[in-house]
Amino acid sequence: MNLTVKIGSAVFPNPVTVASGTFGHAKKYYDLQEVQQLGALIPKTVTLLPQEGNPPPRIAETAAGMLNAIGIENPGVDVFIEKDLPALKKIPVPLIVSVLGHSEEQFLKITEKLNAAGGISALELNLSCPNLQKKNLVAQDAGATSSLVQKVKKISRYPVIAKLSPNVTDITVIAVAAQDAGADGVSLINTLTGMLINTRTRRPVLGNVTGGLSGPAIKPVALNMVYQAAKKVKIPVIAMGGIMTADDALQFIMAGASMTAVGTGNFVNPRAPLDVLQGIKAYMKKHKINDIVQLRGSLILP
Amino acid sequence: MHKIQRTVTVVSNSKVCPQYYRLSLDAGSAVNEARPGQFIHIRVTDGVEPFFRRPFSVFRAAKTMDILYDVVGKGTEILSSRKRGDRLDVLGPLGTPFCEPAPAVRQVVMIAGGIGVAPFLIFSDFLKKKRVEKILLYGARAQAQVFDFKAFRKNGVEVFASTEDGSVGVKGRVTRLFGKIRQDPQTTMLYACGPKPMLAAVQDFAKGHRLPGQVSCEEVMACGLGACLGCSIPTVSGYKTVCHDGPVFDVHEPCF
Repeated sequence: MNLTVKIGSAVFPNPVTVASGTFGHAKKYYDLQEVQQLGALIPKTVTLLPQEGNPPPRIAETAAGMLNAIGIENPGVDVFIEKDLPALKKIPVPLIVSVLGHSEEQFLKITEKLNAAGGISALELNLSCPNLQKKNLVAQDAGATSSLVQKVKKISRYPVIAKLSPNVTDITVIAVAAQDAGADGVSLINTLTGMLINTRTRRPVLGNVTGGLSGPAIKPVALNMVYQAAKKVKIPVIAMGGIMTADDALQFIMAGASMTAVGTGNFVNPRAPLDVLQGIKAYMKKHKINDIVQLRGSLILP
Repeated sequence: MHKIQRTVTVVSNSKVCPQYYRLSLDAGSAVNEARPGQFIHIRVTDGVEPFFRRPFSVFRAAKTMDILYDVVGKGTEILSSRKRGDRLDVLGPLGTPFCEPAPAVRQVVMIAGGIGVAPFLIFSDFLKKKRVEKILLYGARAQAQVFDFKAFRKNGVEVFASTEDGSVGVKGRVTRLFGKIRQDPQTTMLYACGPKPMLAAVQDFAKGHRLPGQVSCEEVMACGLGACLGCSIPTVSGYKTVCHDGPVFDVHEPCF
């Protein structure tokens, strides 16, 4: 059975990974032998400088999902390279590092530092974090997406993946802009902007007022966006948005995704990525499919 | 390899007083791993409503893994309907436990507000053999939150209670019982768990009398493993996660 996936020059042993921000820097997960079976690891987004994150409360439970406004709390790329990367490199799973700059210059500086660090399979450009009080996200502007991807692509020694936002009129326009600028892949979707109000106190539930919605509640939205984007681009699509089970992941693969990521599902079931992988294998065996490529985009329309 | 996720069986689940339930789980080797102040993270349903797991302090880990809980919402309501033989998906024990009192300590003071009493039975089990004075200052709203403290007394703990309505013990908040605390920084150690205003009062008291201590905090959690950074609280050294850096912190650390 062939499950391997190629994104640019990078090869991944199978199509199941974990979405950025849901799997670390948590040493506890990395202790698990099961982690070694994943197709890729994507640790929490790193920025050029350390960020302390947003004021609490940072999360809230919603119907079939959650809101979060963590604010990319992270130690900064230098500390990441010095302290986290050595441990991550020891895990025999390809590493996709998620990065976020607050300007093109910052994105380029981070890329240079990671170029020098080595041991990375691909970069994921987080163009779509909704929780940083920026007026516009890069991924809400085709021109900005194109310009940034082009510049990073020019200097990066690794394949470059653009992570897109669902908070747009037409995500396929941004996906095509990323592709045409040289991106090796696109990942979608990041969270949908949302909010909650505590009626007793008349205050927002989150310290940041708004946050990003994730979990099973957003799966149909994510699935449609992946379906639409995969039709328009030739580069691989990494799909995420509410994946909890193998059936969820298979839907994304049939819609055209090359890889799938479990995100918020990890919080409820840390075993979910492995369950997803085993479930995909079981499905392929049952339906006598020996290459994942045969499943990709295999949706049958009415 | 340290196994964090298990499916465990409910042994019993019943009320210990009008307001609190005690849930006992057949949790295998996890029972031996539990340290006072740690919690287990329970998925109360196989579905997605409610979505998050629910964290509970370990109340006792002897033959079974026990928690003490109050029905405060959807999650604990579902939990209260679980019957003997039901299976539950559990993570843990997780989090940073209470530290042992230093050798010089002569008085261990456990300060509990309501359901915040939960971590102190297992703590008193661990302290049982220590030849130090152990007192529990328990502040409740009313008699409905007062259960039998026999197990604490068996461990050599002297129990003092206060209730806001005066139905049991001293009338008022638990701070009314602070007179029982020996104000000697060298030989007294405070351990507190309860609502934020109570922990803030303990912090003020500890500051005022230069007493050492630890507090166990509570926040809404998603992962429980230090991954999502959703349960972070402000501390004197920046944001820290309650699930992984805590739930137990030095009394002077959190900014309440």
